[in-house]
Amino acid sequence: MMWRVDILSSYIAAFIGMFGVLVVIYSIGFMKGKPRLFWYFLYTFLTIITSIGTVFANNLVLLLIFWGFLGLLLYLLINFGDKNSNAVAKKTFIIVGGSDSLMILGIGIVYLLTGTFQMDKIRLEPSSLSVIAFICLIVAAFAKAGAMPFHTWIPDTAESAPSPVSALLPASLDKLLGIYLLFRISAEMFIMNEPMRQSLLIIGAVTILAAVMMALVQHNFKRLLGYHAVSQVGYMIIGISTGNPIGIAGGLFHMINNAIYKSCLFLIGGAVENKKGTSELDKLGGLSRVMPVTFFCAIIASLSISGVPPFNGFVSKWMIYQGLISQFTVHSSQFTVTKFVIIFCLIAAMFGSALTLASFLKLLHAVFLGQRSYRSTVNRQPSTKIDEVNSLMWLPMVVLALLCIIFGIFTNQLPLKYFILPSVKDAAFIGIWNSHLATLLIIAGILLGFVILLLGNLSKSLRLDNSYVGTEIIPSENRPSGAEFYNTIKEFGILKGIYNKAEEGFFDIYEQGKRFVFFISGILGHLHNGVLPTYLVWCLLGMMGVLYSLLLK
Amino acid sequence: MKNLFYYTVFPGFLFTVTLGFLSSWLDRKVTARVQWRVGPPLLQPVYDVIKLLGKEIIIPQGAPKFLFLMLPLVGLASAILVSTMNWLSMLDAGSGFVGDWIVVIYLLAVPAIMLILGSFASANPLASVGGSREIKLLLGYELPFVMACLVPVIKAHSIKLGEIIAFQASSGILLSSVSGVAAFIIALLCIQAKLGLVPFDMAEAETEIMAGAYIEFSGAVLAVFKLTKFIMLVASPLFLVVLFMGSEIKSIVGFLFVLLKYILVVVLLVLIRNTNPRVKIDQAVRFFWGPITALAVTAIILAMIGL
Repeated sequence: MMWRVDILSSYIAAFIGMFGVLVVIYSIGFMKGKPRLFWYFLYTFLTIITSIGTVFANNLVLLLIFWGFLGLLLYLLINFGDKNSNAVAKKTFIIVGGSDSLMILGIGIVYLLTGTFQMDKIRLEPSSLSVIAFICLIVAAFAKAGAMPFHTWIPDTAESAPSPVSALLPASLDKLLGIYLLFRISAEMFIMNEPMRQSLLIIGAVTILAAVMMALVQHNFKRLLGYHAVSQVGYMIIGISTGNPIGIAGGLFHMINNAIYKSCLFLIGGAVENKKGTSELDKLGGLSRVMPVTFFCAIIASLSISGVPPFNGFVSKWMIYQGLISQFTVHSSQFTVTKFVIIFCLIAAMFGSALTLASFLKLLHAVFLGQRSYRSTVNRQPSTKIDEVNSLMWLPMVVLALLCIIFGIFTNQLPLKYFILPSVKDAAFIGIWNSHLATLLIIAGILLGFVILLLGNLSKSLRLDNSYVGTEIIPSENRPSGAEFYNTIKEFGILKGIYNKAEEGFFDIYEQGKRFVFFISGILGHLHNGVLPTYLVWCLLGMMGVLYSLLLK
Repeated sequence: MKNLFYYTVFPGFLFTVTLGFLSSWLDRKVTARVQWRVGPPLLQPVYDVIKLLGKEIIIPQGAPKFLFLMLPLVGLASAILVSTMNWLSMLDAGSGFVGDWIVVIYLLAVPAIMLILGSFASANPLASVGGSREIKLLLGYELPFVMACLVPVIKAHSIKLGEIIAFQASSGILLSSVSGVAAFIIALLCIQAKLGLVPFDMAEAETEIMAGAYIEFSGAVLAVFKLTKFIMLVASPLFLVVLFMGSEIKSIVGFLFVLLKYILVVVLLVLIRNTNPRVKIDQAVRFFWGPITALAVTAIILAMIGL
């Protein structure tokens, strides 16, 4: 059997199709007037088709071919971005391609152990060789999804590639595929033992915290989103590596939810850049009146990603937490390393969601709220005239934002019932979340508050006035733009050192790899000094070596 | 319909707001007595709200109008919801109402989020500064708060509030264990910050940024914020009561007993507020991420080894 069509692969393929269609619609508006459009759309369509092929593939070699081809398409698509995009595309290709070569190794070992390439027939017990195969395959999944330490291509891609490309690949398709592969590997093909599980959990927790801490201090809209695209992977990894049904279901659901709100956010980033010509947070501000539709989508997607109830991000995070807690309670009451790791992951995940919230509040302030940035206008008096992107661009964003609401409120009726729970058997909820009742009551509360406003003077006197600052109005050059909100946190003792190291690229596997390669070639470089006699000496030495070994034989 | 009654009348909005008025009065009276003043009359908080309802509503230029009016309402709605959940977990422990421990922790943060968004929507630099302080404070206390609230979950092996209470009924309240006491102290300090009481009132800081986050809110909109504050003054300490000394309310005596515990927590909060000066935001975050988090780790380890 070359192909496998089960519920999981079908719904992932359906979502790939949906994201594909939305991004293509958006691209028609966004890429208008850009060169080489034919190739752009060709690569986009090929990406969508290849991704669908990947999830239906049941043969590891077939999967590998699709997987490698996707890496190439990603390289080609990133090249459509700004002037930096060439270098970024190269970096991406090296990281993703390098992980693909490990995947080949992993598949080879799997074949050696089992004698088959059929994914649904493989069931490997942990042994020293199978653990190596496991690690090789996991690296491929992690590089695609962008988990640490293979994440560094994502922030760069997010910044340099065109927004629809970021929305399509790193934000949605690569997440779907990477986590899909992770699920196939860790829940079906390999039986994980405790140390494997724990290392995955810790990688997940570190990914959440480190990436979101980096996101806090970013000054570029799209780069900030890129770091969040990394951080959210941590939740999915944690969910899937809890190993119990509810956690796995949470991880898979989070994969879908993340793809929805993250691609929505990237499309918003593109819309803002398209209208204002920049994605630097210092130069934006006060756009809520100017771009109301984009703002509406931004606020929904931001609240979803931060996990504010009743949006969809909350439900999947809630399921992942339950996975962790039920894993905790099945262990006996004594103190073990496992329990400690689980508690650490739970705290990291819950606190990570507060950090995510903080970083998105900063983003909302810097782009949509706060004082207007007047720099772009000539007469220093910004117009509040509506200047929204065209409907081809806002339609996909609105669809995605509405999906965030629908998947949050009708979570038991739609996504869980049709997609998630059928693909993960026996998922048992240990907590309670009645999204309908809670939403209804919150609406009742809003109405109640509205009555209070009416009891006050809402209907009679509503006056617009300048904002109250005490003295004169602060000129917009001196306004708090929001980008610098968390500089206080950057200065804290140990964090300061880590941030400095991170900015130097110390944690970047690509930079470190580059340093290593240059170090080796630097040593070898001494041999190539351009002097003919030196080369002749090397040739002679080589020939002597060959002769010696032949004679010895 | 029954749930709507729970939400709007008892133990939801009307009851909680009344209790909130009383707690606010208690706060001001105790503060006044500590400072050798007489203090306000019993109905002063009510007068304040009624006065605000009569004032005109001013919307700053450049603010998104709908959002500016909407955010306080969402904050109010979720504050009522979380208060109702806390009460019902003790009144009707089996039902679980709309959510569990995770939901309460998330909902408790919503009023703060709405305040921050509201302050950002005011298009006022002072409000931006106040709002940014509020987020950093939120970041600061959320870490130890989650850890402290985890102690009852570790002990009771459940995230349903009803089961946490049932656990305390069968094997003694959390506050009778070492880890419980440590976690309670941490959570109390976090609640202090959550409620924006001195020493953690830097988001309002009247003397430097003129009420900061609240600066542009006036009239009935400000009244809604005040009501949210009163409700949070009930809901957050009550969550501590549920987690650390919860008991099922079966009779009027049980109810009075819970009220007494609640008042005890409020008095503790008021005393902390009156004996400390305001700290700077970086000091507060350092305090929460440093010693308090270390204490929280200790509490969790103690709870895991069963102390």
